[in-house]
Amino acid sequence: MSAATNRPGVDQRSVEVDFPVDDFGGAGEALGTMTISDEVALGENQRLMTLNMGPQHPSTHGVLRVLLKLDGEVITDCDPVIGYLHRGTEKLGESHRYAQLIPWTDRTDYVAAPMNNLGCVLAIEKLVDVTSPERAQYWRVIMSELARIASHLVWLGTHALDIGALSMSLYCFRERELIMDIFETFCGARLTTNMMEIGGFSRPIPDILPGMVRDFCNVFPSRQQEYVDVLSANPIWIARTKGIGIISPEAAISYSLTGACLRGSGINYDIRKAMPYLVYDRLDFEVPLGTHGDTFDRYLVRMEEMRQARKIILQCLDQCEKMDTPLMAYESPYVIPPHKGTMTTAEDMQRHFIWVIKGFNPPVGEAYAAVEHPKGENGYYFVSDGDAMPYRWRIRSPDFVNLGVLPHLAQGAMLADVVALIGTIDIVLGSVDR
Amino acid sequence: MTDPTTPAVVAAEHSLAALAADPWARELYFADDVELHPGLRELRAAMPDSIVDVVRFRDETTIHVRREDFREVCGFLRDHPQVAFNFLTDETAVDMLHLRESPRFDVVALLYSLSNRVRLRIKAGCDDGDAVPSLVPLWNGANWLEREAYDMFGIIFAGHPNLRRILLADDWDEGHPLRKDYPLRGWRPFPVFNTDRPVGRVRTRWTGRENV
Repeated sequence: MSAATNRPGVDQRSVEVDFPVDDFGGAGEALGTMTISDEVALGENQRLMTLNMGPQHPSTHGVLRVLLKLDGEVITDCDPVIGYLHRGTEKLGESHRYAQLIPWTDRTDYVAAPMNNLGCVLAIEKLVDVTSPERAQYWRVIMSELARIASHLVWLGTHALDIGALSMSLYCFRERELIMDIFETFCGARLTTNMMEIGGFSRPIPDILPGMVRDFCNVFPSRQQEYVDVLSANPIWIARTKGIGIISPEAAISYSLTGACLRGSGINYDIRKAMPYLVYDRLDFEVPLGTHGDTFDRYLVRMEEMRQARKIILQCLDQCEKMDTPLMAYESPYVIPPHKGTMTTAEDMQRHFIWVIKGFNPPVGEAYAAVEHPKGENGYYFVSDGDAMPYRWRIRSPDFVNLGVLPHLAQGAMLADVVALIGTIDIVLGSVDR
Repeated sequence: MTDPTTPAVVAAEHSLAALAADPWARELYFADDVELHPGLRELRAAMPDSIVDVVRFRDETTIHVRREDFREVCGFLRDHPQVAFNFLTDETAVDMLHLRESPRFDVVALLYSLSNRVRLRIKAGCDDGDAVPSLVPLWNGANWLEREAYDMFGIIFAGHPNLRRILLADDWDEGHPLRKDYPLRGWRPFPVFNTDRPVGRVRTRWTGRENV
């Protein structure tokens, strides 16, 4: 086998290799390969220091632990240690029926739970070939764009807090509260919404909900202008973000980055445009792109995404408010029967009983569906063996893949910039560890 | 004789017409005849021996390839100027223990073409202990994804710079949890500190599916 197999923890089983293995050092980067005992003497009275940042550090957005090797204040190597929040969600999915998986997705990225629900139900709907009604699709878009704004507000507040602007988190959570109220009015929960269902929505849309969403959309631009006033010309903010954490377009593709990390480097990949799901192909919006790929560009991209999300929400409201169609694809056998029918007809009651007790058996096959999550591409991959529980459930979480670029960014950076780098990648540890 | 008006024949003729007009048209990636898929067509021309099977389900194309050629196939598709599957979306594995005799695992790479806006799934079957060529020389993003596949399934990626556990602890010695034969219930020793009692046992919770 190739180099780097004599370190502790690295798999040292000898395996028969019947294909050429080139020695490492070609295209890939061997970063993040350090251990806690890696202290290398440089010369007389000089040595690299190993610093343990986290998992209780407040700027690591949860339970991320970063092992840093320091030469003075300059980072020579960085190794993120994750898994402190690993709950085995994928293994749990193998012993739960399909409809029972949706609440688990809330717990992965808990600041944008409706979007996790959406990715999961889209993958299940693809597997069983169900399409949700038009009105439900519009409301799914509205809820997911509200979740995008809420997620970006949490990102902006905590990112600015890490860098030193305390007041931003207070401003951002003030607006996020309005979105949480909308979620609460719709489904009763604020954080773990469990909002989407296979086939659409089984709850009715409350009459006051469109008005609440419109009120939020009316008030949001002036509030967002307050953030811009505080940050965009702030010399401290600019000094801490401009030119920090530059990701070249090639590196962004090589590290499989998605979301604002990819678009901040100028690569135009947004699933809403590239492979439109739901009704995104009928909506008029733009995908903001960065030019330099630094932390400031990613800030600009996310701020513009919030403006575009508001634009999308208003278009959806205009297009769907007059609709009076059902919110659920009740004609499909894979969808839970309507509540009224369950209470009044024997057929629906039997169907409901079977659906709840035994679930449904999708066809044998596999399906992958992805949504443009606020953090990147959130994909769900199901392998079905025809059983009522998935044979394999894979969550492709954007946070996990995006965090892999941290060693590349941190190498050569200053110690104080690590918090800015973690903030700009925008991670939620529940989604990193799953 | 086939009826020339049946949908399948019409679709095939339509696809052939599209092929004559533009061999790289995006519709060809989703044509009814999976052989018209430009990625598969180019791969068949360049390395016909490495393709084991081709599956189409729900508009998703999966190419099963030989384990030894896994990286070469992905590298060929990445560097091809027109097909250009240049983005690694995901790399993971599936334990096929209950579905077939051999090989036991499928290593799954989900590729995406930024220029054509198409996904393609590449699968390579491998048995327990076989080494699969690592994709890290092609994409740095494969580093963590392969560490996760190693952590959860115990698949060895040859050429990986740093094949350590990632989500579980470095000193986790109870195997690889996403394998289908990983016990979901049973007894395991539980250390009891500060007592003279012998080692106790805890019953792990039963979580469902039989015959696991």
